[in-house]
Amino acid sequence: MSTHDPMMEMYLFETNQLLNRLEQLCMDAERKQDISEEIPEIFRIMHTIKGNSMMMLLEDIGKVAHRIEDLFDKLDDISLSSAAIETIIDYNFEAIDFFKREMNKLELGGKADGSSFDLVQKIEAFLESISNGEKPMVPPVSSDQKYFIPPSDNQTSFIASEQATPDAYFARLFFDDDAQMENVRAFTIVHNLKDKAEDIVYFPEDIVENEGSIDKIKEDGFFILFKTSESQEEIHQYFSNLAYINNQEVNLIEDQDYDSILQDLKPKEEVVQAEPVASPPKVEEVSTVGASKQNFISVDVQRVDQLMDLVGELVVAESMVVNNPDLLGLKLNNFDKASRQLRLVINELQDIIMSVRMVPLSMTFQKMSRIVRDMKKKVNKPVELELVGEETEVDKNVIEKIGDPLMHIIRNAMDHGIEDPASRLEAGKDEVGKITLSASHVGGDVVISIKDDGKGLDKERIYDKAFEKGLITKPMDACSDQEIYQMIMNAGFSTKVEVTEFSGRGVGMDVVAKNIESLGGAIQINSEKGVGSEITILIPLTLAIVDGMMIRVADTIFTLPIMSVKESFIVSQDEVISNSDGQEMVMIRGTCYPVIRLDKHYDIKGSHLDHEGIFVMIEHDDEQVLLFADELVGEQQVVVKSLSKYIKKVKGISGFALLGDGQISMILDPSGFMMA
Amino acid sequence: MKRLLIVDDAMFMRSTLKMMLRNQGFEVVGEAQNGIEAIRQYKSLKPDIVTMDIHMPEMGGLDALGEILKMDPKAKVVMITAAGDQKHVMDAMQLGAKNFIVKPFTEEKVIKVMNSI
Repeated sequence: MSTHDPMMEMYLFETNQLLNRLEQLCMDAERKQDISEEIPEIFRIMHTIKGNSMMMLLEDIGKVAHRIEDLFDKLDDISLSSAAIETIIDYNFEAIDFFKREMNKLELGGKADGSSFDLVQKIEAFLESISNGEKPMVPPVSSDQKYFIPPSDNQTSFIASEQATPDAYFARLFFDDDAQMENVRAFTIVHNLKDKAEDIVYFPEDIVENEGSIDKIKEDGFFILFKTSESQEEIHQYFSNLAYINNQEVNLIEDQDYDSILQDLKPKEEVVQAEPVASPPKVEEVSTVGASKQNFISVDVQRVDQLMDLVGELVVAESMVVNNPDLLGLKLNNFDKASRQLRLVINELQDIIMSVRMVPLSMTFQKMSRIVRDMKKKVNKPVELELVGEETEVDKNVIEKIGDPLMHIIRNAMDHGIEDPASRLEAGKDEVGKITLSASHVGGDVVISIKDDGKGLDKERIYDKAFEKGLITKPMDACSDQEIYQMIMNAGFSTKVEVTEFSGRGVGMDVVAKNIESLGGAIQINSEKGVGSEITILIPLTLAIVDGMMIRVADTIFTLPIMSVKESFIVSQDEVISNSDGQEMVMIRGTCYPVIRLDKHYDIKGSHLDHEGIFVMIEHDDEQVLLFADELVGEQQVVVKSLSKYIKKVKGISGFALLGDGQISMILDPSGFMMA
Repeated sequence: MKRLLIVDDAMFMRSTLKMMLRNQGFEVVGEAQNGIEAIRQYKSLKPDIVTMDIHMPEMGGLDALGEILKMDPKAKVVMITAAGDQKHVMDAMQLGAKNFIVKPFTEEKVIKVMNSI
């Protein structure tokens, strides 16, 4: 990827961005069955892609974009039938796919060698069909061309002069082959010539209004008759300096010849009056329309990561200073004030760094609607995808890794979950299947759920299969639903007999599980036969830094994410009751909460006091547990260092943190303490 | 050294132009992504030359050209355009743009145009 030259890198980056936007616009248009609002933006995007691609000499890409641009240029003044809209959107999607394929090749260092021929032809044919009855683009060039052949007496000697009376010149100009828009070039020349010449007459005279004049100019050149007080040499020099001029003849005209040439050139007494006299130089305050919104720079993610690490270190360093043992017992009013200020600034810095990495899920979700769109045509099941909470922001890392898992799950839902329309009707469901993709922040997690109203998972079959493969040894009754459903996450697991184009033999789900795990996330599967399934993915937000509540148990200091702490209180030991299993409970406001004594739980020996410690109520997923510790030490932000691979996973521990005084603290994971 | 303002909504185009111009000793003093920004930057930077894309969001190149010429009738604006956009280019030239460059362009052509105005 990084081996590209910067131009290519930039091209790919920008084009990919435009394609994403384009895809979104097309999805919107398709949903509304109306494209009128999207026309200008799609036109502009195609225009940009065309321009950029042509610069990179990627002709096929440029051509496709160009055709669609043409198409959209036309659309402005045509009312479209819904069938036409659908075709247009389909072409757009085809084009997007084509572009993406080519971008992929380029990204991998290959050549964009896909042919645009078929697509271009299709679009052209369609363009023709909708523009039927319109006048052709280029009006036929009148056959009786009247042009002037310059006098051949090149003898007219060159006279360097500063005469008071201007001389008349006759020039014939040819443009470079690649000049393009020769008529406009000709116009520009005439326009600029006005600064130094007068009485300008030119041929072809219809350069402004008739694009057909281009051909005449190409063939015979552009003729200009003008009067100027500059010398022939100067005029020659002037034309040579113009861009795109290939060849020129400039001749001084004798007075007696002038009129005849003029007659020839100007049959209709046309005077150059092309310029609508520029409005008077009244310096007018331009209405300052609100500051523009797009102000992006693109930054290497690595640098953001580095910055994030540094801020993490900064947080630790700050607390090392502020909680320095050397300061213990000193009364430092001003120092405290200053350090509070420092803390505020660091907090803000941290928030900003975090937000820099956050990206809304909308792009990813949009991709999913594209997948559903494409797939429903192929599997022949009407399916509606509902997106909820697309604006939910997640870490960039998550965005990168969540795409494939979501795609697999959605494909599975469409292929295996949603029934065909006939069976749906039979089951008393709406003919149109529904998949809901939703995202939200819950506590410190991002929760993404994919819910379908299909036939649900077949628990018995999954169990049988798992049993057969030796993945489960317990009898079915002893397994929780969750345990059974989790089986589909195993590699090579599928109850489906036939393999379809979209979702194969369960190769996907284990990849899904791996991807989610690598994000530190978890997957929950719920399903009800005949009603539907819901797959919920829980991913921690970038939790590089956690607001922690420190609790001490003997000499050990644990850190609890403050987010999960509900309350803490002291209860005398005789209020602790035990149930028949020996599980301790405390009754608070009429509800019994189970107690976990951390010292026993982790077998911590030491100065253990049987006297009153403190209960901390933690919550996860609407479930509460009381942790019993010796005391609360305080609150601190900590940088999470994840468990290294060589450390066995300990239930209830999610990572480590370095405390201000250099001590290491284990970070507790509330979900690990829940009883269920 | 001539000071330039580049106006284009495509980052790729801006950087391509910038690279070409810098190679040839022009100073690119500003970049704008749309007409509104272009006008604002023109006011504060007073560049010698503006290169102006035609199709841009919020405010296109033609409107921006008009506004800039209103502020400074001597403004030198070069339109950057794509093939097949005669109509708009002609409008621009009639409004008072100095010249135009058609995409795709080469460094040589760009420099020649810049030097000729």
